[in-house]
Amino acid sequence: MSKELIKDPLNIIICGVGGQGNILATELLASALVEKGYFATVGETYGASQRGGSVMSHVRISAATEYGVLIPLQQADIIVSFEPTDTLRVARDYANKSTLIITDSRPNYPLGVLIGEAHYPAMEAIEAELRKLSNQVQIIEATKLAVEAGNSQAANVLLMGALTALPLVPIDIDDYERILEQRFSGQVLEMNRKVLKVGYEQVK
Amino acid sequence: MCGGMELKNEVLASATCALCGACLDWCPYIANIEDHLVLRFDCNVSNGRCYSVCPRTFTDWEAISEKYLPDIPRDFAIGPHLKAYKVKAAKGINGQQDGGTVSYLVKTILEDELAETVLLTGTDDQVTPEPFLSSEIDDIQKSAGSRFLASPGMRKIIEAQNNKVQKMAVVGRPCQIQALRKLDYNRPPQKPEVEVLSIGLFCMWSLGWDFKDYLQKQFPEEEVLRLAIPQHGFEVTTDKGVHELPIDTVKKFSRAGCNYCLDMTSELADISVGAFEPQEGWNTVIIRTPKGQQIFNDALTKGYLISEEYPEEELKRLKGASLGKKTRNLNHVQTAFDKGVKPFIDLNSAYYIQLKELAEGMVK
Amino acid sequence: MEWMITTNEPGKTYLMQGNEAISRGALEAGIRFAAAYPGSPSSEILTMLGHVADEMEIYAEWSTNETCALEACLGASFAGIRSLCVMKQNGLLVVGDALHSASLSGVKGGLVLVVADDPSAHSSTNEFDSRHQSRSAAVPMLEPANMQEAKDMVKWGFELSEQLQQLVMVRTVTRINHGRSSVTLGEIPQQKQVPAVIGEWDRLVAINWFKDAQISKLEQAQVIFKESPFNWYNGPENPDMMIVTCGTGWLYSIEAVKALGVKDSVGILKIGTTWPLPEEFIVKHLGRTKKVLVVEEVDPFLEQNIANIIAYHPELNIELTGRHGQKVIPRNGELNPNVVRNALANMTGTTFTGPEVTFIPPEEAVALPPRELTFCAGCPHRASFFLLKQTLRIQEGQGVVMGDIGCYTMGGQRAGHYLFNFLSCMGAGISAAEGLGQLTRFGFDQPVIALAGDSTFFHSCMPALINAKYHNSNMLFVILDNSATAMTGFQPHPGIGLTAMGKTTEPISIAKVVEAIGCPVTVADPFDITGTTEIVYKLLKQPGLKVLILKQECATLAIRKREKAKVWVDQDLCRGDECGCGRFCSRIWGCPGNIWDYEVGKAKIDEVVCVGCGVCVSLCPAGAIKIEGGEAV
Repeated sequence: MSKELIKDPLNIIICGVGGQGNILATELLASALVEKGYFATVGETYGASQRGGSVMSHVRISAATEYGVLIPLQQADIIVSFEPTDTLRVARDYANKSTLIITDSRPNYPLGVLIGEAHYPAMEAIEAELRKLSNQVQIIEATKLAVEAGNSQAANVLLMGALTALPLVPIDIDDYERILEQRFSGQVLEMNRKVLKVGYEQVK
Repeated sequence: MCGGMELKNEVLASATCALCGACLDWCPYIANIEDHLVLRFDCNVSNGRCYSVCPRTFTDWEAISEKYLPDIPRDFAIGPHLKAYKVKAAKGINGQQDGGTVSYLVKTILEDELAETVLLTGTDDQVTPEPFLSSEIDDIQKSAGSRFLASPGMRKIIEAQNNKVQKMAVVGRPCQIQALRKLDYNRPPQKPEVEVLSIGLFCMWSLGWDFKDYLQKQFPEEEVLRLAIPQHGFEVTTDKGVHELPIDTVKKFSRAGCNYCLDMTSELADISVGAFEPQEGWNTVIIRTPKGQQIFNDALTKGYLISEEYPEEELKRLKGASLGKKTRNLNHVQTAFDKGVKPFIDLNSAYYIQLKELAEGMVK
Repeated sequence: MEWMITTNEPGKTYLMQGNEAISRGALEAGIRFAAAYPGSPSSEILTMLGHVADEMEIYAEWSTNETCALEACLGASFAGIRSLCVMKQNGLLVVGDALHSASLSGVKGGLVLVVADDPSAHSSTNEFDSRHQSRSAAVPMLEPANMQEAKDMVKWGFELSEQLQQLVMVRTVTRINHGRSSVTLGEIPQQKQVPAVIGEWDRLVAINWFKDAQISKLEQAQVIFKESPFNWYNGPENPDMMIVTCGTGWLYSIEAVKALGVKDSVGILKIGTTWPLPEEFIVKHLGRTKKVLVVEEVDPFLEQNIANIIAYHPELNIELTGRHGQKVIPRNGELNPNVVRNALANMTGTTFTGPEVTFIPPEEAVALPPRELTFCAGCPHRASFFLLKQTLRIQEGQGVVMGDIGCYTMGGQRAGHYLFNFLSCMGAGISAAEGLGQLTRFGFDQPVIALAGDSTFFHSCMPALINAKYHNSNMLFVILDNSATAMTGFQPHPGIGLTAMGKTTEPISIAKVVEAIGCPVTVADPFDITGTTEIVYKLLKQPGLKVLILKQECATLAIRKREKAKVWVDQDLCRGDECGCGRFCSRIWGCPGNIWDYEVGKAKIDEVVCVGCGVCVSLCPAGAIKIEGGEAV
């Protein structure tokens, strides 16, 4: 029997834009949880992922039982997002006052903005609304930090590092690292290890 | 302030387009194949070059004449002009229609370096018009002969601009000469000026490209060598012989956009050239500007052209023909305006009022 | 993870995707044959089986269409080989005749047909409910409620199939196929099946003589299902209300009961064998209550079959609710925890007390730009739709465009300038165009264009093309040949020259097939916008049937093979917002690689996204987009 959770089920949403690698990051997170003996389910929306659509994964963790793959509205405990407008879109539906929101601040402009037909809101406005929705909003410049660490594509693992530092999440950085070791090797593994630690330190 | 969408709604959708081609090539929204010219995607520019150069959007004839043909005696029927001549080339040029005058005027312009490049219209098959820019005297021959199918030749102006041409000459139909004047008249202040010499052609109408399909169907397995309108009818010379088509049959293929044209003699050009109806092999030349007069004189001095006094009775006939086109087409124009097509001519101008009275008088 | 489906670690628990669990279940059942046609959300199953085929000594193929897949499995089954057939909901409708016939003939070796439905149509054009087909064809059906059951049901399905000598359907939904959860592995048999001899008097014949046998198999299934471990009741002895549920509804129901605190008054009857329903078992449990809520995806299939049972059992006195009449659950769309909880709250008169939530009135909310779908950077479909749209505008004859199913279905949206007038199912574009094209005789003079992708061409366009040719329909058939089944993840098709197992094979030339039918065929490059526009224009002027193949490889595949050219914008030349282009490259062409540099007010290339196809270079009227290096496209 695995260790009791502070919150059971623990509902985590990981979201962003197709191509940012959140599906892989989520799968690794859930695998680490199952490895530790927890029940973990993942609900994914993709198909649009190669074409710049919003991608959202729901992770539900329990020490006691299996849960359905979708998180009920307003019942996410943690939202980790790679893109500010997607953070807000998801938070409106799934956050409550005590949801912990961790978001990258780097915009990924949708088609409508690129072609000049839609307006991308100011980060300050997004942050202000996020703070109205939740008491706990943390901005982590994941892409920037990942670029500094050597690879913009590693922002996904960086944010997972931040997750492992949270007391709510019942795995630590070593557990995630073990899963990384199962899946990667060589330089890719080293890079992922490095950014995982960077992310971890953002929260610790 | 009008752009592509207005061009689409006011000109293209109401089929008044003359296919001059002035809106093409600069703009990626406007596309053309054969004689179809359309806005292929919706444009979001509110103040467009396409709209400002179009001969079927509002044109202030009075102001444009004033600017480009100042102090030139006006004529209600054939426009401002200095003098008319009966002209022909001293030597024939292969493929020429009537007098070959245009070819020698162009040759003179190039030789005298009055233009770096000339916009001409050639053909590969004697039917399909192919506009091209050239600065080579040898190329002139490629453009010899009349083109009856409409072609959007003015698109080539962009090419000249891109090549940073500062002086150019244009041989074009009346609608094209109008567009040429509007292009300069509405030029944004930051755009460099281009000095243009214009040789306008007489034009009753031009044909839609379905005429090409018709010829193919009518004379299968035959290669067209020449199209011409001598006095009697429409002559199609092929490798198998000479065929004659009734002029009314051919007229059916004239483009709808030509019905809105009130200019037979290219009234805004420096020189206008057309057939000299009573005598095959001769041209009518109307000199409109001193610049035009100079080129004409040079061509005479060089011995390229032979000229004669223009017969008084023929001038009368020419004016009658021009007025005939004006009054006939005024009916189309008015019907279009009545149906909601935005007027492209000042309805309060003395010219329009006079033309209207004339047309009504003729009906009576 | 392919190693998860082949690893021999019975008892070990891994996080598995539903499609992994299904593949694993089939391997645990000892299948040697698998055939499928790709379609989300089912595609990963055969992809994985193809990849492990050599290792596991099985045969796997991407069949040309679903009928070929099912009948191929039937062939293997005839020789006693356990065969897995996989498709999505539309595919099952394609195989309607084959399914009903196979059910009449029965099978020899176990044959399990996995059908993946897509409630809410996440990656489909519809949310058809496949379960009606199981009832219509008298085929037993299992419906997994989680990933573990997905594996176990597929495995057990083979045993059931052989016991009944009947094919067995396993019906999943997107949330099962693409969801992930803990799955405990079973054993993979080491013994490999060998084909049995088909004797002189062995028969597998679908003819009405076997109708009695078919019915009796169904009755036998009903008896077996009575004791099935996939069906159970959990709750009070005599609940005020009972939820009857199957599939994803089960876990949502448990959560709803917990959230509303009604576990002392509400029981849950979970059904895994949804056709034929174990009538006796259901009647026994329904007898405990007077009020039933049925929770299922997506039609009221379970609900109305329970209504049937109730009708035959006057001793039951039940108020039945579900999707029928939309009283508590909407008639369309997938289930989610909120829909189920609201329905239960409604039925039990309870309310849910959730965490504290801030409501932000719409007028105070930050306006968010929508994320629209578009073709990938460098996608040849973008060029094809662009040039078709402009040709129709130029042609001025109000062309009618008949669409089809694939990546290019997006062409019906803004990405393709809303080109389609018609969209139905796979192969419908050309079939319907044939009909429209026949109306010329009655004065219909609009140009008719049908579009289809290469995979769709092989799947379902060939009979329609023959029909159009034989009856000389007045139409243009455009085949968008991107050498891929890109929509569903690049599965090979007969034009590619590669099998599901990664073996090379002789590709079938679409052009040669078309020519053999007797149609003149033109092949053009969609990236040559000007030249190909003229070709389409000329083809549209010709009477009769014309076929045009627009050939250019899918950008996502192409970029893996060639050196990427560098494309950039000379911002000194760019006319930007001015008259002259009005941001034509980003606004109209709309490739994700063409972006707008807000700081300088000029166009720019997103070099991360750009694949270097260079088409935008030819579209810029100012010649401001430059290309350098790379291999020519």
